[in-house]
Amino acid sequence: MVQLGKSEVNGGSQVRSRKKKVKESEVEQAPLKHLDALELKQKLKERLDIREQRSYGDGDSVPSTPPKENGDVSGDEATETIITKESCSKKKTRSGETKRSEPKKPHHPFVISVQMDFMVGFLFLISLITRLVFLDLPRNVVFDEMHYGKYASLYLKGTFFFDANPPLGKLILALAGYFAGYEGDFEFQKIGVPYPENFPLMTLRLIPALCGSLITPTVYLILGEMGLSNWAGALAALMVVLDTAILAQSRFILLESMMMLFALFAILSVLKFRRFAGAPFSMGWCFWILMTSVNMGLAFSVKFIGIYSCWLCSFLLLRSFWKRLSLKQVSNLQLFFEFSSQAVLICVIPILVYVGSFYIHLSILTKAGVHDSLMTSAFQASLEGGLSSIVDGQPKVIAHGSQITLRHTHGKTCWLHSHEHVYPIRYDDGRGSSHQQQVSCYSYKDVNNWWIVKRPDREDLAVHEPLDSIKDGDTIQLVHGMTHRALNSHDVAAPMSPHNQEITCYIDYNISMASENLWKVQIVNMDNSGEESARVWQSIGSQIRLIHVNTNQAMKFSPRLYPEWGFHQNEVAADKNHDQLDTIWNVEEHRYTKHDEDKRTLERELFNAELIPQTPTYLSFWQKFWELQVKMLITNQDNVQNHNYASYPGEWPFLVRGIAYFISKDSNAQVHLIGNIMIWYTGTLSVLAYSTILIIYLLRRRRLCFDVPEDVFQEFVEVGEVLMAGYLFHFVPFLFYDRTLFIHHYLLAYVFKLMLTAFLMVHIYEIAMNVVSRKWLARLVAIGVVCWILATIYVFVQMSPFCYGFFPMSASQVKSLKWKDTWDFIIHKP
Amino acid sequence: MAQIQANKSKAYTAKMKSSSPVKNTGAEWWIVFGAIVLFNLWTRLHKVDQPEWVCWDETHFGKMGSWYINRTFFFDVHPPLGKMFIGAVGYVTGYNGTFPFEKPGDLYHDHNYLGMRVACTLLGACLTPFSFLTVWELTQSITASAFAGVLALFDVGMLILNQYILLDPILLFFISGSTYSMVKFRSYHERPFSVVWWTWLIITGFMLGGAISVKFVGLFVILLVGLNTIEQLWEILGDMSQPISNVIKHFLARAACLIALPIAMYICLFFIHLQVLYKSGNGDGHFSSSFQSALVGNVLHNASMPRHLVFGAIVTLKNHRTGGGYLHSHFHLYPEGVGARQQQVTTYAHKDENNKFIVKKWNDEAPKIYSDEYEKAEVDFVKHGDLIRLEHVITKRNIHSHAEPAPISKKQFQVTGYGDDGIGDANDVWKVEIVGGSEGDVVETVTSKIKLHHYFMKCVLTCSNKQLPKWGYEQQEISCNPTVRDPNALWNVEDNFYPKLPNVSFQNFAPGFVSRFLESHAVMFQGNAGLKPKEGDYTSRPWEWPINFRGQFFSGNDHRIYLLGNPVIWWGNIIFLGLFTATYIWNSILAQRGHEDSLEIQTQKSRTLYAGVWLFIGWALHYVPFWAMGRVLYFHHYFPACLFSSMLTAVILEYILNTILHFIPEKLVKVVYHTFIGIFVGTLWYSFHLFSPLAYGMEATPGHMTNSSVHHLKWIASWEF
Repeated sequence: MVQLGKSEVNGGSQVRSRKKKVKESEVEQAPLKHLDALELKQKLKERLDIREQRSYGDGDSVPSTPPKENGDVSGDEATETIITKESCSKKKTRSGETKRSEPKKPHHPFVISVQMDFMVGFLFLISLITRLVFLDLPRNVVFDEMHYGKYASLYLKGTFFFDANPPLGKLILALAGYFAGYEGDFEFQKIGVPYPENFPLMTLRLIPALCGSLITPTVYLILGEMGLSNWAGALAALMVVLDTAILAQSRFILLESMMMLFALFAILSVLKFRRFAGAPFSMGWCFWILMTSVNMGLAFSVKFIGIYSCWLCSFLLLRSFWKRLSLKQVSNLQLFFEFSSQAVLICVIPILVYVGSFYIHLSILTKAGVHDSLMTSAFQASLEGGLSSIVDGQPKVIAHGSQITLRHTHGKTCWLHSHEHVYPIRYDDGRGSSHQQQVSCYSYKDVNNWWIVKRPDREDLAVHEPLDSIKDGDTIQLVHGMTHRALNSHDVAAPMSPHNQEITCYIDYNISMASENLWKVQIVNMDNSGEESARVWQSIGSQIRLIHVNTNQAMKFSPRLYPEWGFHQNEVAADKNHDQLDTIWNVEEHRYTKHDEDKRTLERELFNAELIPQTPTYLSFWQKFWELQVKMLITNQDNVQNHNYASYPGEWPFLVRGIAYFISKDSNAQVHLIGNIMIWYTGTLSVLAYSTILIIYLLRRRRLCFDVPEDVFQEFVEVGEVLMAGYLFHFVPFLFYDRTLFIHHYLLAYVFKLMLTAFLMVHIYEIAMNVVSRKWLARLVAIGVVCWILATIYVFVQMSPFCYGFFPMSASQVKSLKWKDTWDFIIHKP
Repeated sequence: MAQIQANKSKAYTAKMKSSSPVKNTGAEWWIVFGAIVLFNLWTRLHKVDQPEWVCWDETHFGKMGSWYINRTFFFDVHPPLGKMFIGAVGYVTGYNGTFPFEKPGDLYHDHNYLGMRVACTLLGACLTPFSFLTVWELTQSITASAFAGVLALFDVGMLILNQYILLDPILLFFISGSTYSMVKFRSYHERPFSVVWWTWLIITGFMLGGAISVKFVGLFVILLVGLNTIEQLWEILGDMSQPISNVIKHFLARAACLIALPIAMYICLFFIHLQVLYKSGNGDGHFSSSFQSALVGNVLHNASMPRHLVFGAIVTLKNHRTGGGYLHSHFHLYPEGVGARQQQVTTYAHKDENNKFIVKKWNDEAPKIYSDEYEKAEVDFVKHGDLIRLEHVITKRNIHSHAEPAPISKKQFQVTGYGDDGIGDANDVWKVEIVGGSEGDVVETVTSKIKLHHYFMKCVLTCSNKQLPKWGYEQQEISCNPTVRDPNALWNVEDNFYPKLPNVSFQNFAPGFVSRFLESHAVMFQGNAGLKPKEGDYTSRPWEWPINFRGQFFSGNDHRIYLLGNPVIWWGNIIFLGLFTATYIWNSILAQRGHEDSLEIQTQKSRTLYAGVWLFIGWALHYVPFWAMGRVLYFHHYFPACLFSSMLTAVILEYILNTILHFIPEKLVKVVYHTFIGIFVGTLWYSFHLFSPLAYGMEATPGHMTNSSVHHLKWIASWEF
């Protein structure tokens, strides 16, 4: 500690005297405690040509700071900074004495409650007020309430639905609805529909509003936890309260505010955890690492973009661990245990939370619904009603004589189909075809989707006991039920994908084109138990490939559509690359042929099939879970479409456009997601300002000009590590998205930007006060900040009608608020 | 971190000091280098004339070379240098530009293609010596340099990609050249502002300029050099024995040579490009009317028409978006169920009588041209903010819009031709906005960008860029878009017929170089962004590349060429990338833990890590960005990254070898060393020998047939040869 103090003194004197060159002796005695400083000194020494033994222990290799009892670097610094700051404001200069005399505070995990002072309560209160007033107005469906409200209803009814985001947020909404006695009977047809009288709108909107209100104190606590003054915290929290975009986003049945809250909780927990990094496996250590990982999981389970917060947390944990690595007194083994236990907790718990949310999701949604057709047959059949009511009781084992429909398993829902039409002799591009019967993949149930499985060497079709079951590797023919032609393939280019091979139903034109209608069944998802029964082809459950025997190509669904001659159905072709999802098929409907006397009876049987109920299909949780994950991944990628209010990430920092959420039918009252332009632009500016100041500091330090005291600089860097990194982690990835984005995707990054802004304002004030040491300048800065706050409040009051959405506005009023050309407020009434 | 940096810089200076006396530029060095270069030349030039037909993308780049020789304007998404080089070489070696390069597989017959092939091959052959020299500058170790040379030499993929008339050999030449000159320049860091220092700095600038002028991928090597330069400047900045003015001098020298020079070079090349290609060609359609007016042979060239638009004039309107068509209408109605059954309005890419419209006032009919009224009427200019109607000349219907959804873009409104003999209703009125114009500005032919706002619907006339079905003759949809900022809503007047006004020649309004330069870039970027994979097409994904998952056919028939990296080298590269990362992290942790090595080990280690870090950055810069690209990607995009990866392998391999040698008895060192070298070179040579049929031509039997000569080479199923 003594040495540490000394270094501070030296640092201070350097600053005061603004020396460019440092004397040799000073360097030797000053064990700078931080690594950048260390590197600096090293360079310096090389230049001054000091040839010394490295093992001399002069602080060259490792700071010889004596171990502290708690070994806690960052936390200590944090508390110290607050104190020195207070003293600074009185004394102007800092000295080592202040620091040394400061007694160490005992750490306790639950100490926050003491700090949760008046300020936290006050901030929470004003954000509660702003978020809760007139919460049930407008009493119409606003923007995505249409989706999330609908999903909540579907939960309450237990009807299956598919959404590309994880279920937790919607589950919480549904829970609120459940407690309010809502039964899920409102339809949420489209934006603007009024809610019925009995709909518990208040309760459903209360959840996001509460979460939104909690964001404010959390932001305050985060800044406090980084050792910044209460002023910085209060300023940032005030910005959160006064921002119209965050306000509007929290007032409706939307998920962002929940996700943001969990994400910020996770960050807060990491910061709390960092205090205890020096006391591994202590109460506080365990508690906060647990809190971090649980909140990470929660954020991620509400919306996938919570993943960026998880990355940020992991990054911060790694940073803190990295600092700990330099402590020589901690043994390698202990470090290893610390690291692996952190890593395991951080990985496992979020996954548990995520999977758990899906477990609840799938155990609630047991009935068939509108999105069924997106899922595989097996999934659909496991739901009550829907497909399961059709396939219940159909025989399981596919055998010679089975009548089946073959569904394209993954991706677009369609069934192998053929009909009494042939491929045109010549296509538009001049290529010729075989002129045989068309085969396609058709998205609707149709009698032409039925095929009969046949052994090549048997002629009768009726199924008798014992079953002649088809197994993996068996060769079969597929006969089209209505036309009695066999599925065929040959070396002719497919209609729409010329690099693939054509698939037809064979017609013998006697033109030396022999039929090649043998197909090998390959079961993809067979369990390799080796048992004979596992190799049997089963309806619904077995996923198969049909490999054309002569050419060794697999039948596949192609996303291309036939033109008019093929009725715009999907192309089916054979591809030599077997290993792709589009070559996988499964039997959906299935029954045995009973009578095979002649063509007529067969056809009649196809039309009037009867079904005998048997046991329903059962899928385990994990099977369903993985299928959903794959589907969500694919759907997320597919989501590329135009939306009137979509925006590019590049536009976000400049608040180019908002999103119209709702417009009243009979006036210009509207909800429009648009930020508070004062805060928004100041935020963008401070990101630039922070980077510039950092670069200036670094360049100056490289030339050994220490403009600000060492601890102020360290604080500047460490705060940037959290806030600037937070901003970048939540913003930069969007630049690489290839899908429709909205400005509300920016909000979490924006919160980090706000915190950075607050920090920067306080930092500039401190520089003016303590480093430049001009009282009048500091006052000027303070006055500037106050004016800025007043302006922000003015903007907030002006724009707030767009958040609350029930003030009828005249056209000219709306126009007068259109401060940027690109803002598209809706004016449809005078 | 700081620790490592400190160590690094210390070792760095140590390296530089030790380098001068120990520098092993004796006979041994020259023998190794010479042997590699000679063998390299032999492998590259062997069978360079085969196959005697167009291979793969030669069809594009050969064709573009021909266009340079023929001076015909074309459009391509890449900058011009590579194609200019091909054209120039072809011209010099006696190719006359007449071969059409229609599709892969076309026989060259007696066209002189060999010059272009050999020139590309020779540039590609430089990669091996460049790799050797780069590693030499980085490590000063013959062993490592030889490894790098041999790895580049025996990579079948590099051989194949660099043997044809493609942009890749040229690009790779500039990329590896930039890397080499960067490290070479750095080696003179103790003699700043000397002649060699300046020479290598300028060479680096030229190489960078070349790289970016061949393909935009060159940007990544510029980033690499940029980062390296920043690091150098940081070192110089920290040197307190030098005044700050020294830093500024260093900075300015680099800014001039590494920023200004490449930019100047790039612009110059573009200038030449636009000067050389003065004849109208198939690329015209991508460019705006004013751009086209500068091309000899284009209808707009030397055309003369009134400068300003007046009421009563007969005009055609061209959509201002890239490749935009003309506003068009024809005597056919929208079919049942597609909005109102009124006359179709579309955009059409070709010149046609049906593209002509008369500009009328919103409340007045225009007198027929040459009629008495026309002669009497005063000339009335169309200005910003005027209300107009557009009457289709042939069918006499007005362009009209109403609150029906457009046929394809359902969120926009339908646009129709409406009315009888020019009399329609209030929904025919449009308001003219000149983009960037103000009250009183007159609409100018060709140069004014205008938007047409529907007066009542508050939407703009837009070409939505979507194709109509058969009933619309597959022309493009026109809609009225409520999002008035849509970039597709810009139009310009192309033909303007009004005899009363004096005609002016468009030569005078042809854009200058700067605007043509900017427009070319807008078009190129749009073209690049538009290269999206089509649904159902097979597209190569970045994860497939390092593992050599799937190659690319260059040529078929009985001389089949299949682009595939040498799997031994490529798979080895992955392992060494992993090894390097692990070593680096491990060393960082050790340093952070305060671990210390002996000075000798320390020097060797930090030298290796220093070289490794930059090569790794080079690899990452040329590979990682592809993950974020939405455009169509190909296997050959990985080759620049592979170049760095191979060099990294060489460096790490030598380090491992040295470490092993460190632990074995002195007597055995030589034996082990030579055995190792023998095995290494032997394995690579053998694998090259095995896979060389891929480069020098395989017979026609596909590889999956057991009787094929390359059947035993089909190690994984996804290789398609």
